[in-house]
Amino acid sequence: MQRLLDPAVLASISSLDLIAKTVVDGFVSGLHRSPDFGFSQEFAEYRPYTQGDDLRHVDWNLFARTERCYLKRYEGETNSQLMILLDASNSMQFGSRQPAKADYARYLAASLFYMAVRNQRDAAGVIVFDDEVRDYVKPSTRQGQLARLFASLERAEPHARTDFAKPLTHFQSLLHRRGIVIVISDFYETPEAIVRAVEPLRFHGNDVVLFHVLDPQELRPQMKGPAVLVDLESGEKIEVVPEYVNSTYRERLQEHIDQLSMRVRAVGMEYQLLATDQPLDAVLREYLSLRRTGR
Amino acid sequence: MMGFLAPWFLAGLAGLGIPVFVHLLRKHITVPRPVSSLMFFERGTQSSTKHHRLRYLLLFALRFALLLLVVLAFANPFVRRSAANANGRPLMIVLDNSFSMRAGTRFADAKREALALLAAKPHSQRAQVIALGGQVQVLTQPITDAEQLRVALDGVQVGDGYGSYGELGKAVRALSETEAGPIDLHLFSDMQRSAMPASFADAVFPQTVELTLHNVAKTAPSPNWTVESVNAPADLTDTKDTSKSRVQAVVAGMGTDETVKTVSLMVNGKEVAKRSVKVPANGRATVEFAPLNVGYGFNRCEVRVNGGDVLPADDASFFVVRRLDPQHVLFVHNARDERSPLYFGAALNAASHGAFVVQAVAADQATDIDPKKFAFTVLSDAATLPSIFEHSLEQYVASGGDVLIAAGVETGRRGEVPLWGGEHVKPRNVTASVGQVDFTYPALEQTEPGRDNGGWAAARFFYIVPVDTSLARVVARLSDGTPLLLERQMGEGRVLLLASGLENLTNDLPLHPVFVAFVDKASRYLAGGEELSGAKTVDSFVQLRSSAETQGRTASAEVVDPDGRRPLSLSEGRTARTFRLTRAGFYQIRFANGRSGEIGVNADRRESDLTPMSAEMQGLWTGSHGGQNAAEKKQVLGTNDRRMGLWWYVMLLALAVAVAETALSSRYLGVQREEV
Repeated sequence: MQRLLDPAVLASISSLDLIAKTVVDGFVSGLHRSPDFGFSQEFAEYRPYTQGDDLRHVDWNLFARTERCYLKRYEGETNSQLMILLDASNSMQFGSRQPAKADYARYLAASLFYMAVRNQRDAAGVIVFDDEVRDYVKPSTRQGQLARLFASLERAEPHARTDFAKPLTHFQSLLHRRGIVIVISDFYETPEAIVRAVEPLRFHGNDVVLFHVLDPQELRPQMKGPAVLVDLESGEKIEVVPEYVNSTYRERLQEHIDQLSMRVRAVGMEYQLLATDQPLDAVLREYLSLRRTGR
Repeated sequence: MMGFLAPWFLAGLAGLGIPVFVHLLRKHITVPRPVSSLMFFERGTQSSTKHHRLRYLLLFALRFALLLLVVLAFANPFVRRSAANANGRPLMIVLDNSFSMRAGTRFADAKREALALLAAKPHSQRAQVIALGGQVQVLTQPITDAEQLRVALDGVQVGDGYGSYGELGKAVRALSETEAGPIDLHLFSDMQRSAMPASFADAVFPQTVELTLHNVAKTAPSPNWTVESVNAPADLTDTKDTSKSRVQAVVAGMGTDETVKTVSLMVNGKEVAKRSVKVPANGRATVEFAPLNVGYGFNRCEVRVNGGDVLPADDASFFVVRRLDPQHVLFVHNARDERSPLYFGAALNAASHGAFVVQAVAADQATDIDPKKFAFTVLSDAATLPSIFEHSLEQYVASGGDVLIAAGVETGRRGEVPLWGGEHVKPRNVTASVGQVDFTYPALEQTEPGRDNGGWAAARFFYIVPVDTSLARVVARLSDGTPLLLERQMGEGRVLLLASGLENLTNDLPLHPVFVAFVDKASRYLAGGEELSGAKTVDSFVQLRSSAETQGRTASAEVVDPDGRRPLSLSEGRTARTFRLTRAGFYQIRFANGRSGEIGVNADRRESDLTPMSAEMQGLWTGSHGGQNAAEKKQVLGTNDRRMGLWWYVMLLALAVAVAETALSSRYLGVQREEV
C-alpha cells in the first residue's frame, strides 16, 4: 500500500480524483490496521435521546437489550472548514524527477479535499495564487464541491511570481468561519516576510499549517561541474560552481528551513517540510491530527 | 631514415585545425539549468572557466592525436634499414665464363674485378657467386663467408659454352623470388651483343634487382675470323663419290676487312689440303675440299683458318668422318612376297649410294642367321619366323639392335606382329592417305615439308593392320587416325613398325618418291651411324643409353673428353642416360649398347661475334626493371636500404587513441546530461 502513496507512482495516474481516492483509501485502510489512532467515524460516547434527535443515530441494539434509547456520538462529528492556499508560481514547476513540485502540491491538495469532503464531510475551499489570486473556490459542503475543487486544481498551471501578501489579504476578506488553513508552497521568500503574510490568518482562530514543498534536488543538490543556472521566476542567470552548491548552498537552505520552521511555530502555526519523493500519508496524518485537537 | 609512400595524404593534416577550433576557439555553449530560485546561489564564473579548460584539454589532445595518426597511416610511412647490417641487401656476383671470354685477357680481367668487389664487400653482407656459361651455374648460396665466396669465384674457369643473358634473366628471376629484399647484381662480362636474346624482355631483371655492368671488353672490338660451319659426311663408304666425299666450310670474318685467308683441312692431325679464299669485309666465303680421302674407321678432321686474331679458339672447326664398308641390312620377307625386297633394295641403293647392301632372306630360311652381323633388320610381312631366329632377334633388339617391321597381308591373316606383341589384330581394308606426319622424327625428318604433307599425301593405303600402340610413339597416322608408323623402345634397341606392307599391294607407297627418302632416313636412323660420328655444338647432349629399364643390365657407357679425361664416374657410366658435351674438341664415346663413336664438338659460333652491345642498350638494360626508368627504379630500390612499412602500427595506435577518446567524451556527455 505504501507503494500506492509513492508520488512517483501517483504521477502516472492522470485523473486527479483518482489520485486522491487512491491516496486516501490507502491511507484509511492503513489506519484500520493501526492500533493507536482513530478515525472520524469512530465511536466516542452515548447520550440519552432527546426529542428532535435523528432516529438514524439511535443504537437499536442497545435499546433491544436495555429498552433505553441512546444515541451514538462519533469523533469529528463536528463539521470543520478546510481552506487550502496553493502556490502556483513558476518556481513550483521545477522538478528533477516525477512529480514536479506543482504536481506534488496538487496531489496533496486533492487528497486533503477528498478526505475532508468525502470522509469528514467538511466544507472545503481553495485559493490558487501566484502574485495574485488566480482562482478561488468558496468553502462549501454542497453537492459537487469536490469536483469544483479538483477542476480548480487542474487549472492551476504554474506561471508568474510568488507574492504572499495579496492572496492572503484576499483570503482574509473572504474568511467568515474559523477552520483549518493549509498553505502549500516552496516558500522562496524570507521567513520574516512569510510569517508576516501568514500570521494574520492565525488571528481569526484558524489552525494554520504550512506545507513546505521542495524537490530532492533542491534539498540535496548534486552538481559535478560548473553550470549556468536560470531562475524560473525572474529569468536571471548566474554561473555557479559545484564547490559552492555542495557546501554553502546547503547550509543557507538549511538555515532558511530552520528559521522558517522556528518562526512559524513561534506564532502558533504548524510547519511541515515535504520532499516530492515523500509519500503523502504524512500530510493526511497531520490533517487528522489537527482535527482531533478539536480546534 | 623515414619516409612516406603516399606523401600526398599529408594534406589531411589541415584537418588538425578542427579539434583546435572545437576546443580552443569555439565559444563554449552551456545549456542553462533551471532552478526554482537563485535565492541561495552565488556567482562562481572564474572557477568554472578554469575547470572547463583543464578538463577538455585531455580530450582535445586525444582528438588531435587521433587525426594526426590517421593521416600518417594513410601516408604510409616507412623506415629504411641500412644495408650495413647482416640482413642487408645481398650481393650477386655473376662471372661470364662463356667461350668469347677466351679472347685476350677478358676472363682474367673479369675474375680480377669480381674478386676485388668481393674483397671490398662489408663482412656482414651476404653474397652469391654465379657463373654464366653454357648454363647458369649457381656456385654458392647467399652467404657471408668471404673465403668460401672467394674460393668459388676463383674456381670458375673459362668454358666453351654460349652465354645467354636471357638465361641469366630467367635464373635471376627465379632466385629473386626467394629473396624478399632488393639485390645488387654485378655482371662481369664482355657484353656481347650476340648474348642478348631475341626478346629483350627475357633479359629484364625483376624490380628488386639493381644491375651493375662491368664491361671487360673496354677496347674497340677486334677483328675475328672463324670457321662458321662445316658440311661433311659423318659416314663415308666411297671416297671416290664426290657427291658425298667432300667437305664444305664457311669462313666468316667479323669486324674484318676484305682479306685473303688460308684455309686448311686436317685429318688426324695432318694437313691434307689447303685453300686460299678471299673473305669480304664482314662477310663469308665458302671453301670446298673434295674428294675426302680418309682411312677406315673414325677420322678426326678439322677445318682451320689462319686467324691471327684475338680469339684463336674459334679458328678451327672439328668433325669426325667414319669410313666404313657398305653395311649389310638383313631383309626377312614372306616367302611369297617377292616385291618388297625389290622395292626396298632399289630405294635404299638409290638413296645411300651403296652405303647399305640389302641381304634378302625368306622367313623360313632365316633359322641360322645371326642378326647381330647386320646394321639393322627388316621384317617385311614375316609373320611366321623360325623360333631360333625369333629368339636371336629378341636378344638382338634387347642389346641395342634395331628392326623395321612391315605388317602386310600375311601378318594380318595371322593376327600377330612378331616382336611387337599385343592382342590379336584384325586387319582392315581401307582407302586412306597419310594424315599426320611427325617431321621431327629422324626417319621422317623434313625441314620444310610441302603442302602435300611432305609427299606423303599422295600415297594411298588399302590394307592396314591395327596394332597395339601402348608404350609406342606414333609418328604417322592415316587420315582416319589409324596409326601408320610407330616406334617402340625394347631394351636398348628400337623397333619401327609400319602398319602396312612394303610391296605395292597393300598400298602404293613404294611407287612414290617419298618412299625413297623414307627408306634412306629410316635406314640411317636404324643403323645408328648418325650419332657415332659427325659434329655437334658445345652444350648439346648425346644419348648414352636408350631406356631407363635396362640400367645395370647393360655395359657401362664411357666418355673420353678432348683432354683425355673420363668425366663420368663408374656409377654414372652405369646409370647416365645422356651426356652433355661441354668442351670443344673431339669426344670419344662408348655407348651402353656396345657401339663406339667419336664426335667433333665446336663452340657455338654466336660466341665468335665479339661486337659488344651498344651503350644505349646497356643503359636500357641497367635501367630497365619492368620498363621503369632509372629514376623510378631508384625510387623503388632506395640507395642501399631496405624499407619497412609502419602504417599497420600507426593504425593500431590510432585505434587505441580512438577508444580512449570515445570513453572520455562519452563520460563528459554523460555528465552533461546528468547536470541538465
